[in-house]
Order: sequence, then C-alpha cells, then structure tokens
Amino acid sequence: MNDLLLDVMEVSKTFARGRLLSREKIVAVNKVSMQLAAGQPEILAIIGESGSGKTTLARMILNMETPTSGRLVLDGTDLAAMGGNAARLAFMHKVQPIFQNPFESFNPLKRVERYLLMTRLRFTGAAGESTAAVAVDAALHKVGLSLKEVGGRYPHELSGGQLQRVAIARALLAEPKLIVADEPVSMIDASLRMSIVNLFRTLRDELGISIIYVTHDLATAYYISDRIMIMQKGSVVESGDARTVLKAPRHPYTRQLREAVLLPEVASAPAIVTPNMNGLSPGAPERRA
Amino acid sequence: MVAFIRELLRYRTEFRIGLALVAVVLLLSMMASFSPYPPDSVYVVPPDLPPSLTYWFGTTSRGQDVFWQVSFAIRNTLLFGGTVALVSRLVALAVGLVSGYKGGWVDRALMSVNDTFIVIPLLPILVLFYFVMRDRISWLMLALIMACFGWAYDARLIRSVVMSLRQREFTQTSLFSGMTTRQILTEEHLPYVVPILFSTTMNNMVWSIGLEVTLAVLGFTDINTPTIGGMIYWANQHTAMVAGIWWWIAFPTIAVIMAFIGLFLLAVSVNAHIDPRSRLWSTGEAS
Amino acid sequence: MHASVEQPHGDQEAQPLLVVRDLQAYYRTSHAGVRRGIRAVDGVSFTVRRGEIYGLAGESSSGKTTLIKSIAGAIKPPLEIVGGSMEFAFLSGYGGLHRAARAELERIRWRHLSYIMQGSMNVLNPVRRVRSSFVDFAYPHIGGSLKQFEQLVVAHLARVKLDPSVLTAFPHELSGGMRQRAALALATICRPGFIIADEPTTALDVVVQKEVLGMIRGIQRETGSSVLFVTHDMGVHAHITDRLAIMYAGRLVEEAATAEIFRNPLHPYTKNLISSLPRIGEDAPRAGLAGAPPNLADPPSGCRFHPRCPLASEICCREVPVMREASSGHRVACFAVNGGDGA
Repeated sequence: MNDLLLDVMEVSKTFARGRLLSREKIVAVNKVSMQLAAGQPEILAIIGESGSGKTTLARMILNMETPTSGRLVLDGTDLAAMGGNAARLAFMHKVQPIFQNPFESFNPLKRVERYLLMTRLRFTGAAGESTAAVAVDAALHKVGLSLKEVGGRYPHELSGGQLQRVAIARALLAEPKLIVADEPVSMIDASLRMSIVNLFRTLRDELGISIIYVTHDLATAYYISDRIMIMQKGSVVESGDARTVLKAPRHPYTRQLREAVLLPEVASAPAIVTPNMNGLSPGAPERRA
Repeated sequence: MVAFIRELLRYRTEFRIGLALVAVVLLLSMMASFSPYPPDSVYVVPPDLPPSLTYWFGTTSRGQDVFWQVSFAIRNTLLFGGTVALVSRLVALAVGLVSGYKGGWVDRALMSVNDTFIVIPLLPILVLFYFVMRDRISWLMLALIMACFGWAYDARLIRSVVMSLRQREFTQTSLFSGMTTRQILTEEHLPYVVPILFSTTMNNMVWSIGLEVTLAVLGFTDINTPTIGGMIYWANQHTAMVAGIWWWIAFPTIAVIMAFIGLFLLAVSVNAHIDPRSRLWSTGEAS
Repeated sequence: MHASVEQPHGDQEAQPLLVVRDLQAYYRTSHAGVRRGIRAVDGVSFTVRRGEIYGLAGESSSGKTTLIKSIAGAIKPPLEIVGGSMEFAFLSGYGGLHRAARAELERIRWRHLSYIMQGSMNVLNPVRRVRSSFVDFAYPHIGGSLKQFEQLVVAHLARVKLDPSVLTAFPHELSGGMRQRAALALATICRPGFIIADEPTTALDVVVQKEVLGMIRGIQRETGSSVLFVTHDMGVHAHITDRLAIMYAGRLVEEAATAEIFRNPLHPYTKNLISSLPRIGEDAPRAGLAGAPPNLADPPSGCRFHPRCPLASEICCREVPVMREASSGHRVACFAVNGGDGA
C-alpha cells in the first residue's frame, strides 16, 4: 500500500442525462485503472479528445467528483472514506490542481497573493503572515516571479503566462506530492507556453513532485511526459512509456491521433496555387436569377 | 462599491434622478425630529386650514399640521419598508448563498420551503392575521410577517448567481487554498451578490410600503402610529375629499409617490448596470 | 461613389483582392474621467492576392482579432479606425467595409465576402433548422427556384461530406465538426471571392481539425477564393496557408511564403516561435521567450519586441522598424536583419 502514491482501481463514472422518463446514461469514464509510484516522481500525461473522459478522471483524482464505482486511494487514504474538514485539508495538502484558464483561476475582484498566503497558512502551519510571506516569495521565485511583481496585483493586471505561474506557485505552497494539471498550457500564448511546460519538468526533478498532465496535445505530452495514457470514450486504449507509445503507436486510435498532429513544418512546399476556374469565377455565383 | 456608485452617477441619468427623489424624501422624514408637536396629539392647531406660509401643507380636520404629520408618516413608512427589506435580505442572502453553494439535498430542502413562500397568497394571510390579532398588532410585527414573505424570489436569484460562481475555477482555487465554506461564501462570492442585494432592496421596499399603505387605508393596521396609509385612512374617515380638504390626502400621496419613483429608478438603474451588456453599451457610448 | 464589381483578372500580382494600407485601429475608452487608447492595430499593411490562403499568426494580445474586425467592417465603439485604408477588389473606392452603406454590405455579404468563425453557432441560427440558414443567407444571392437551390445545397454539402439530412437538423443536434462543416458549406456556396476564417478549427478535436482543414483547402482550390486565415496555431498555418504574416503587439513583424517562414525565419520573435514548437520524436529542450507581450495601452517605444529581444540594440528602443524586403517576397521589420539605418 505504501509504495503507491496514487492507486486508481477500476474507476467508472456515469452521468445521467435527459428528461424525467427517458433517462440515458453517459459513461464518462469506464473502468480505468492506473498507478503512480511513491518516491519516484514522474510526469504522466492523460491524452484524449473532447468526450474522452480525461477531465472527469482528473476531477475524480482531485476528489471534485465521486466515482460511480471503483476505488481511488491516495497515499494510503481511500478518497471515498474521507470525511470531515481535517481529512479534506490533509488530502489537499497532498494533491493540488492547476486549471486550464489562468484568467479564471483567481477571483477577479481579489488580489492574487491572498490565495498564496492562505494556502501557506492553511497547509503548512506557517506561523503568522510574515513567515508565510517569505515562503510565498520563495515559491514565486521557483516559477520565475517574485512577491514584488505579484504583490497587491489583481488578476487582470497580470498576463496569462504570469497568472499560470502564480497558480503553480500557489500549488507548490501546499507542498503537495502530486499536481493534477488539466490543459495547463492550452490557453497560454505560444511564446510563453514552453517556459511553463519546462517548469513542470523542474518541479519533477528538483522538488520531486509527480504531475498528472491532462492534454489533447500530443507534441507537448511527448516533450515532457515520462508515461502516457491515451483515452477514448472513457476507456484507456493504450498506455506506456511516452516515447515508445508515440513513436510506434499500436492501437489504431493512437495511430489516428498521431497522424492528425499538424507538424510545424511544411511537408512539401505547395506550388503557388493557380486557381482552377473552370468557368467558376469568384464573386460570380453559378446561377443568377 | 464606491467605484460602482461613482460609475452609476456618471453614466445613469435614472440613477441621478432616483437619488435626488430619495434624498428629498429622506430629508422630509428626518425633519420629524424637529416637530413642535407630538405626532399623536390632536387639536394642536386650528383645523381645516388650507396651505399657507404658517402651515405649509395646511392642517387636518383633527387639528394636526399636515407638514409634520407627513414628516412622521413618511419616516415611519420608510422605517417599516427598511425593516422589511433588511430582515428579508438577510434571510434571502443566507438561503441563497447556502442553497446555491451546497447544492444537493440542502438545496432541494431549502428550495421547497422557498417555493412554498412564493405560492402562498399574501394579502388574505395578512387580513386573517389582523382579525386574529386585532389591537395587539404593531408595525414591527407586521414588518416581520411581511419579511417572512419577501425573501423567497430574491433567494432564488442569489442562489442562481452563486450556482454559476461555484462552477467557476476560482472557487476551486479557493477550496484548494484551504478556505472554509464560510470564507468562500462571504469573501469570494458575496462581492458578486452585493449589487443584487442593493437593487432588490429597493424593489422590496416599494413592494412592502405599497402593501402597508393598502392595509392601512383599509384600516387593517395599527392606525394610531402615523404612517402614509394611516393618514389617508383618517382623511377618509373625515371625508376629506368631499369636504374639500384635498391637502390632507394630496401631500402624503405625493410624498409616497416620490419615494416609490425614487426607489424604483434606483433599482432599475442598478439592475441595468449589473447587466454587463448594457453596462458596456452605456459606458461605450459615453466615451 | 459607386462600388464596382470587378471580374477576376489573369494577372494576380496586378489585381490583389485586398490591399490593407497602414491600418490603425484603436480602442478609445474613457473610464471615470481617464481617457485611454489601446493601440491594438498600429500601422499594418499587407496584400491578399487572388486565389491564395493568406495566414495571419499572432498571440492573444497581438491585435489579430481587431484586425479581422476592421477588415470585416465590424467597427463598434470603443473600436475606431484611426487611419489607413482597406481596399477590396469587389468594392473599390471606399477604403473599408465600415464606410460602405448597409445596402451595399447586404449585397456583398455571402456573395463576395463570407466568414467562418470559431463558434459556427454565430452563423447558424440555433433555433432554426440548418436549411433555413441556407435559405436566409445564400438563396437571395443565387436565385432560381427553391427546388434548384436545394439541389445545389445538397451537392455542395457533399463536398464537405455531409448528408442532406443535416438540413432538417437543428445546429445543436450536430457535432462540433459537423456544425463547422455546415458553416463552411454556407460560407462557400455562393463562391465568394474572399473568405475570412477566424480560428475556424480551434475548437475542434485534432482528427476532425485535419479533416476540416483539408475541406477548406479543397473548396478554396475549386472556387479560387482568397482566404484570410487567422489562427495562433503554427501547425495549422504550416498545413494550409500559402503565405504567412506574423503579428506582434499590433504590428506585422514578418511576412513570407509559409514554407519560407518555417525554413528560414528572420525576425527574432518568429525564430523563437518556430524553434520552441515541440515535435514528436525530437527530445532537444525548447525554450520559451522571457517576459510577456506588452500592454497595448502603453506599448514600448521603438520596436515593440525590443524588451524581449535577444538582439535588441540601442536603435530598437528609439525607432520603429519598417517592413522591408529581405529577399524576394520575404518582408521583415527588424533592425538586426535589415541593417541599422531603418530608413
């Protein structure tokens, strides 16, 4: 039991949809099992398209959603058996989330450092605001920012990239063992994206934090993850070492995904297109009244 | 909040007019403290005098100065409306926040109570209450009864706002920052609810004052406390309109209409300003 | 002023479809007494030729959305066109759609100019069947009997691999990919000369995205329309556009044939943009750019990229670099590339 950080056992989640009489059940996650080893930090990418159940799975790991069947055990604690405030705090001390939209991650009416200080005070028993502020500054330095830049600022005064860094710093302040990041860079501008992605690697190597990276983007998943898990319609269709799976996908769906990746280079320079008019000139519809 | 009011003053003519009307009515009600006569004494001035420089609003057939009577009446009426609004806002806020945030069975239980209050017809209940209580009825009791019926719609409104706030990622960030439910509700969500609270307060006051005036005119309240409705009740008892004592009815009516329109304009302009689309439109046009 | 409908010309170079000259579009707001101008598009010039897919790449605050709004004539306060002109081949003499009369716009829409947006729900009326959207928008331009029109629609839907049954469906009954293909069919059925495609595949899953891109390409080749294709996704640009312009902080920084941009990027911003893209099968570390895109209410002096630029020199802080041809058809706005004189 103790050698697993996260043990997901045959977890399913169904949602009921529809009217009162004709209820249909939608299986969002179907009997998914996965493990993360303790003391062996790694980045695991969960890859899937919309409707694959990847976000629902991530939400179940974060205890934001209860599974319909199956069991989730985090660091020896069964999530279903967790009751009371103290247990919830202990859980959040171990697992922290990073969300997709950095502009939505913080209350627009509040200053961002509020969340950083709060996290520090609640989870690590920091004695007083001033000790917490020192820790906050240190965490911000780890993500390439400082309390001087961020202190007193409201979310709209920071860029998307900066906010996502603050979100990561906030997660770090709880000193978690696992970070679950749901599409953390899909809304980050291209020129800033790689520095955030690289940051995850630093967290794994220097702070020993395991990361579950939920994404639809195979290229960044290949770039940072150690292991990947491909999901389709709620089920895991292929999983394993990131490089092996993505270089030589075995499941037809993985192959299909792999082939749909638009390479950032022009395969064969297209000849200057000469429009083939065939009597159909632009601006002149085929038939006129 | 200060910025919000400044923005309203800048871009909303309705708000400015409403504020001016409410200010006049408030000033009138505050004058009551300087009244030379106690409000319930009769025959302190010569009766049935028309408005003049000595008696600005004239005098009643009961020998009371209409100006000071209106001043007391509007003060009591506003106090009544304010009490109803305050109590019902507190209930609406508590029910709306908890119901919207907790969801599940808590939400279902609270909303079934809520909907019961929405469908119960109020006027028959109040009349029934009067016949049971008779002389023991006081304005505070009436205010509390009306507050019991005045929160349900607004609780639903607040609930729907909180439900959508709960779905937003920052609520999750707050949760994972270790905030308690009370902290999330009062510190993260309440700021979004305050403007709604403000605008529904006006609507609620218009509603409760209107109902109080109706009951008082019909004689279903404590008629010895001077209120706007009470004044009209006494004027009717002395057939003021037939006797040509029009000022006995006209001035309280004008005062309460000013209060109505003022509160209504405030509510409308605040409401329109909360709606982000109309806010953009008005500030965009003004630039 | 009469706008003339010109017939396509054999010489593409001489007859560009759209010429944008030194366009300046600002947001002017006045909030609590403080006047502010956000210079979202500040001196942009480019030409869209006939029959090409012209790509426009940029980040979230680069001004590309404002640029499309301006070209589409969707100018509403606080957005203002402060300077410059946009000349369409099919509507000459106006200097931009925002100056054209309403009747003129009605005549041009769908027939000469159409849009494919990220949320196709904006085009397809959500409470009416797909058929009515086609009848409302395209039928007035095509005419003939309704029956003939319907045959034409069905034939056109086949090009985007949609079954005629989608015509009787409501938009919400279709999947995202089907909706986007229906919107594509609607945008192209009148064979317009110019199509504005604003992140048309961003909301789609990768497999569907590739398919829809292929369809856009196919229809564009067949009709010879020009497309202004806007997206932040460099992979999409590589896949579909003929020429590509890179926008940064309200200005164009580089423009060339797409293959040339990917093979030989010259501007330091473009260079980083392309080298930082991860590729499956390559394990070399990638670095992002330091700093953040500037606030356009108070942009940096001179070259707006200079605070983040590894090659910045003293002149970059002082003067604004102009777009100059570095090689044939490859324009770039950078002192380090063009030489320090800047003139």
